[in-house]
Amino acid sequence: MDFPENNDIRLALEQAEAEHRLATATLPDRLCEDWRFGRPHKHAAAMAELAESADNAGTVTVEGADDALCEPDDDARDSVKLMQSIGSDKFLALQLAHFGKGVVLFLERSYKEPITITYETEGTFLPTTQIVAVAGAKARIIERHICRGEKAAILCTRTIMAAEGAELSVELHEEGSGASRAMNITNITADGAAVRHLTTHSNHAWAREETVAEIMGAKGTDVQLYSANRLGAAQVLDQHTRQRHTSGGSTSNLLYKNVVDDKATAVFAGNIYVSPGAHDTDAYQSNRNMMLSEDATIHSLPGLEILADHVRCSHGSASAPMDEEQLFYLLSRGIPRHTAQLLVAEGFLGDVTSRFSPAEQD
Amino acid sequence: MADLPFQPDTRGEFSFPENHKYDAGYGLTEATIDYICDAKGEPDWLRRFRKDALKKFHELPMPYHWAPEGIRDVDFDQIRYYLSHGVPPRKSWDDVPDDVKRTFERLGVPEQERAFLAGVDAQYDSETAYNNMREELSKQGVIFVNSTEGLKEHEDVFRPWFGKVIPVGDNKFSALNHAAFSGGSFIYVPKGVKLKQPLQAYFRINSESMGQFERTLIIADEGAELMYMEGCTAPKFDSATLHSGVVELVALKGAKIQYVTVQNWATNVYNLVIQRGLAMEDAEIRWIDCNLGSKLTMKYPAVVLQGRRARGEVVSISLAHDGQDQDTGARMIHAAPETTSNIVAKSISIGKGRASYRGEVNVLKGMKGCRNNTECDALLISAESRTDTYPAITVNGNSCAVQHEASVSQVDEEMLFYMQQRGLTRAQAMSLAVNGFINDLVNEFPMEYSVELRRLIDLEMEDSIG
Repeated sequence: MDFPENNDIRLALEQAEAEHRLATATLPDRLCEDWRFGRPHKHAAAMAELAESADNAGTVTVEGADDALCEPDDDARDSVKLMQSIGSDKFLALQLAHFGKGVVLFLERSYKEPITITYETEGTFLPTTQIVAVAGAKARIIERHICRGEKAAILCTRTIMAAEGAELSVELHEEGSGASRAMNITNITADGAAVRHLTTHSNHAWAREETVAEIMGAKGTDVQLYSANRLGAAQVLDQHTRQRHTSGGSTSNLLYKNVVDDKATAVFAGNIYVSPGAHDTDAYQSNRNMMLSEDATIHSLPGLEILADHVRCSHGSASAPMDEEQLFYLLSRGIPRHTAQLLVAEGFLGDVTSRFSPAEQD
Repeated sequence: MADLPFQPDTRGEFSFPENHKYDAGYGLTEATIDYICDAKGEPDWLRRFRKDALKKFHELPMPYHWAPEGIRDVDFDQIRYYLSHGVPPRKSWDDVPDDVKRTFERLGVPEQERAFLAGVDAQYDSETAYNNMREELSKQGVIFVNSTEGLKEHEDVFRPWFGKVIPVGDNKFSALNHAAFSGGSFIYVPKGVKLKQPLQAYFRINSESMGQFERTLIIADEGAELMYMEGCTAPKFDSATLHSGVVELVALKGAKIQYVTVQNWATNVYNLVIQRGLAMEDAEIRWIDCNLGSKLTMKYPAVVLQGRRARGEVVSISLAHDGQDQDTGARMIHAAPETTSNIVAKSISIGKGRASYRGEVNVLKGMKGCRNNTECDALLISAESRTDTYPAITVNGNSCAVQHEASVSQVDEEMLFYMQQRGLTRAQAMSLAVNGFINDLVNEFPMEYSVELRRLIDLEMEDSIG
């Protein structure tokens, strides 16, 4: 009797497991708190439909890290299996069902030049990015997701792992075609490391970001999350973050800023979780929105869950129109109103990028 | 911090033997509603209304997807829905049945009435036992009765607003209250009448497994002003009790309503209360809320700012001891232009207690020039305590400013050290620090209450020294 090769059995099991997960994972409904204000019946359903019938066609380009580059292999698949989403397990299952495209970076040294990763698609693309920085590694990574054409969509899962003493600076720029959709689920694990993360979303009809940062390990772990976005037309940006402090003595900071114009909608739902025993945690979370039109809509849900003692945790959320005084200053110097507005909005968002990379400003 | 086991205030934890003429038994069915209607002698429209609400109650889901875990333990079949002595409310304490009178005397209600109140409504289980108001107020046209009497005697004023601020189908607990309500106050203050002294209601649960579903409606006519205070206590039984009241406030043009709650239920009471006010043009509604007792409190006082320049405010203090879950917060719905609101919430978690702030601020489309400010501060006293903050802010348009700020901290060790060095015990120092934390909010309470609140905190600290 012929037994299939061991590898075949494993593959068959993998496939059965992925199929089972896809079949049992449910799409978020209106009672799903993680999709509150996200209109899941509309947006989650549309994105899932695209992903289910995805051609998964797109290009992957990596520059500046030849020695660190690996293919998405079984280990990478295993870590996608263990990823945490924020109410979007269906999308993790869809990603696993299409698993195979993307980039795995294994960083073992200091990289002076930035590493760039670019995903580009005209169809529906489901790549996965995995960045592993071993102890002491240092790198700056710029990741771009580009959607071209009316129906383009990108669903990306990203894991960023940094071991003790590593320093990572990761940027994600989502660039759309106006009618495109983008979604990314990012898990950051910092164990005694320093990780800075910046996202920007431009020109997508709908974009959702889920960023879960696990802040653990020795004293001095520091995770900083930034985002700066300018929304216009009827664009929808749905951002969800978690800062999970699982051991004490660590710090995290979050600053998400949006300029919302026309009929655009921005949703921010963040949460700082400090687990029992994670004493001496210092965490901050801030969401700032500038509204430029009467039809702009903001939903802001900053959250705190504190189960430890001796912590310093706070959050702030402010939504307001553009400061008339700043505009007046520019107008009185002869700058036309529209240009003045652009300048003020740019300054508002530029604050984020300068905090993200203070060195560049010097 | 082991030397700081704060003790809950237990002065309300005594009970007298039950002596009820009417007892609707356990569980809520159509038969229970018929029993309540017969006992209260209610008209047919109200019977139909209650039955429709019961249907809604069965249809509506429990808010499991967001509510604290503890709500899963509420067993609606193990609750008694109507208990009463079957005597109408008395105007004099001398006529009140002995055990009831002794209860309120121990709680100091008649004493407070003499000292500084304009009127008192004292509810014992399902019905009001005592209701009285100073005479000059009735001459001015002020109505202060219990809800049963309000519906009977003042249907023309009561009915148009009944269930308008909080509709039957608003949520499961509002449907429950509409089906089973009994007791609570009905207040009407005529145009331009300003009450100088507060009106007070006192809610007392005396019987095991009792569900108290009081219903309060306060209408302040144009330019009227009033302050209303409610206090709550219950003895601690082996089985849980449920308090699920509905409070509706209507502040017409230019009116001002201040609603003060000091809740000190025993630690096995589920306190699931819906409070909402409607503020018309230039009107102001303030909720001043203090939650000290109960096992689980879910209470989010709301103001719907319906008229131009209306103002809403919520001032909230909550104290969560071991085994307590204080899920409190506020809701502000800006449904008119130029409306403003302010929320200040402070919570203290002690031992294994959990205090949460859950809030909603919503500026509807097209509402220009609205402003909201929200501040939440939490103080953690020990390593096992927990605090959460879940605000939800929605803003439409480009002329409104909304800001929210929250922080979590603990009593500064250096501060304690400083005080201990100057001869205070650790408990005294802690008490001083906690008092300092809530000091600015305590000042918002009427004087008698703020003195009481401070005393309560000192008392809890002193207990911990021995």
